[in-house]
Amino acid sequence: MKNLRSWKLLLPLAGLAAVASIWVSGAFAGSQATNVIRVAIMTDCKGAFAFGYEIDIGGAQAAFAQYAGGKVKNPNKPSAGMTGITVGGKQVQIVGYGCGDDTVPTAVKETRRLMEQLKADVMVGPLSGDEAVSVANYAKSHPTKTFIIGTAGSQDPTLQIAPKNMFRYHGDGAQWNAGIGEILYKKLGWRKAAIIMDDYSFGWTSGAGMIADFCAIGGQITKRVFPPLNTTDYAPFVRQLPRPGTVDGYMWVVGGTGTAASLKAFEQAYGAIKPNEHAGNLFFAFLGADKVVGPKVVGTYVGGFGTGPGLNTPQAKAYEAVIKKWYPKIPAGDGFVYNYYNAAWALVRALKADGGQVGAALQSAMPRSNKSGYEVSDGGLVKLDARRQAIQDQYPLQVVKNADGSIGTKLVGWVPNVDQSFGGLFKPSSPAPGRSQPKCVKKKLPWQGKIRVITNGKITSQVIK
Amino acid sequence: MRLRLDPKGTVERGIGLAVLVVLALGPAIFNEYWVNTILTQMFIFGIAAASLIFLNAYGAMTSLAQTALMGISAYLLGNMVTQGGAGGQSKGLTLGWDPTLALVLALVITTAIGVAFGAVAARSFGIYFLMLTLTYGVIANYFFGQVTQFGGFSPIAGVDQYTPGFVGEIVGHANKLYYIAFGVALVVYAAIRYLIRTPFGLSLQGVRDDPVRMSSLGYNVPLHRALAFGFASFVAALSGILFVWWQGQIAPGNIGLAATIELLVMAVIGGLTKIEGAWVGAFAFIVINNYVRDVELPLVGGSFNTIIGLIFLVIVIVSPDGLMGVWDRLWRSLGGRGGGTPDTASVTRQAAPEASIP
Repeated sequence: MKNLRSWKLLLPLAGLAAVASIWVSGAFAGSQATNVIRVAIMTDCKGAFAFGYEIDIGGAQAAFAQYAGGKVKNPNKPSAGMTGITVGGKQVQIVGYGCGDDTVPTAVKETRRLMEQLKADVMVGPLSGDEAVSVANYAKSHPTKTFIIGTAGSQDPTLQIAPKNMFRYHGDGAQWNAGIGEILYKKLGWRKAAIIMDDYSFGWTSGAGMIADFCAIGGQITKRVFPPLNTTDYAPFVRQLPRPGTVDGYMWVVGGTGTAASLKAFEQAYGAIKPNEHAGNLFFAFLGADKVVGPKVVGTYVGGFGTGPGLNTPQAKAYEAVIKKWYPKIPAGDGFVYNYYNAAWALVRALKADGGQVGAALQSAMPRSNKSGYEVSDGGLVKLDARRQAIQDQYPLQVVKNADGSIGTKLVGWVPNVDQSFGGLFKPSSPAPGRSQPKCVKKKLPWQGKIRVITNGKITSQVIK
Repeated sequence: MRLRLDPKGTVERGIGLAVLVVLALGPAIFNEYWVNTILTQMFIFGIAAASLIFLNAYGAMTSLAQTALMGISAYLLGNMVTQGGAGGQSKGLTLGWDPTLALVLALVITTAIGVAFGAVAARSFGIYFLMLTLTYGVIANYFFGQVTQFGGFSPIAGVDQYTPGFVGEIVGHANKLYYIAFGVALVVYAAIRYLIRTPFGLSLQGVRDDPVRMSSLGYNVPLHRALAFGFASFVAALSGILFVWWQGQIAPGNIGLAATIELLVMAVIGGLTKIEGAWVGAFAFIVINNYVRDVELPLVGGSFNTIIGLIFLVIVIVSPDGLMGVWDRLWRSLGGRGGGTPDTASVTRQAAPEASIP
């Protein structure tokens, strides 16, 4: 019995000893080298966007490899790391990869770990809307750190919150949908539509882009329905939509597994899906993976992601070649890859310009434009506005059936120079997109009537009519 | 008054004093990350875990609602103090009220909600009590997640920018929050120690041990339990305020099922029978959470959840009264005498009474 008692004691004591050793090694850590620029890459390794973990890191690191001498450790596994990055005469160390899960608490925890424990000077990230809202608020109270959003679609981080040390070189969820409303109005003759959208930041912002664009040209939104995030049974929400025949079409802003599930629920409630009565945001582009729903939405128009996969311009080809050179297996046309790449590239340029300084010097050196791969306007330069938010070309898509029978998308339009404010509709003082924001108002948008047709990846001179 | 020779108590007091001195000198001893994140967080979650341990040790009520109560006070404060408009916050009610008033209201309303929760749950025991309090947690989580006027899925953020005048600015003053959390933790500890010695505390322990007998003696058992729950709610509310000042933001994920279980795990690791265990458990949990990353164990693979699960399993098997129990065993195995401070509730007395209250 006494023996039993002693092992029972030893186990927890061993645990305590382990904790104590961690404490000793971590709590009193010495000072860090000052000649090293410490960069963290924050993305998601769990949750709905876990698939993006490697490709996000790959996108960012491809820029370090291309422009700052970084050596790829494993071209098939970007998270294996990178060595030898040097900019402005200083060594750049990637101190850690943040592992978010699409939730705020984890985003905050990981941000603290990267910026405080690992003492990063700069973060490239995070991924996803609410994480960016959360990091924007963190950035506000940590002005010496610099944050370059990886990929996030919420509007708030650069419009309402807009900390001076946060930069975004891609569009928000609303910008990504610019042009889709006009296409639906002109090409499909929609005048009245209903919208169903996820009840959180990204859903609202993405929906806001569709609503604003459609209403601006003269359309009306007669009903807005909000299923909570992670809904599994969409029947009650689909039933809230007006019946077919009472509206010209339906806009879907339902993400993740909900995209196909909500469309199936619609089909069960109202019969077969007619492609010309439905349109979606970027989530529709992923429906090709669903063997049941994918074929049924062939022909539908889809909002973009700020990327132009298949765009036939030398700049786009050059960008795709860079990604392929360093990480052959990651998809260059993917929005996550593209956005992380541009964020890291902008960082490298800023560090070169300011001689490798961080903090306020870096923030003022961050470039106000970036020669992003799919940008065509202004000589191929994405420009930042006064709140450090990109003004970016957008590319609405259409779901198509490929020659091999698979379901994919093609570029249908080029929407030049889409700004975050939609020509003044969204303001820093106006409420962030929500259940009742924005209102449906007719308005002259800067790109209205200027959307050019894309045929076989080439931007034509013809405007969409 | 008769002096009692209690070597274990003396050693414990010595250790306690040494820990207090180290913590009081924390910012001078530990690096910034440890002060800002590990230790401040330990104080905050320790306070919430103390509310759970208080209910369990002295009321035989294992509550899964403490995290929700933390969240309620944090959400109330966030909704009341934050301001909207350009440069302000975009989620929640953004009422922009005076931070002192909001702080008082958040504490009062959360405590009132806690008393109401307690009143409903007071006649339930054991697993039924556990399930009821879990229900409270789930309701709070869904309420704040889906009633978008109060925040919705996105965080209510920037709460740390609106602190009462007597607290002063805490953004960029991490040591201040460290000492505030330290001070509140000490007050909570002292308050619980005091409360359990009052007539109310003694009768609460009577209710814990034999509710039927206490009832037949004329004590109002449900009232005692509801009031104890109300007190624990106040403690959890304090923790919630500190948490939202520390994190600056609050989101439904902070009060979800995982967060609820995490608080219970902290309490169990520390020891469900001694109040001090709350901070010991919180410390162990937070350190493990911070440092055990990407550990791949043979066969099971794993990450933080696997590791903490295994530790939890070992604790439950080896020392059901947590790390505090390990200390008791260590003392005994070293041949020490004494122990068992008067307020120590034994594990054997924990069994929730199954008898119904008339």
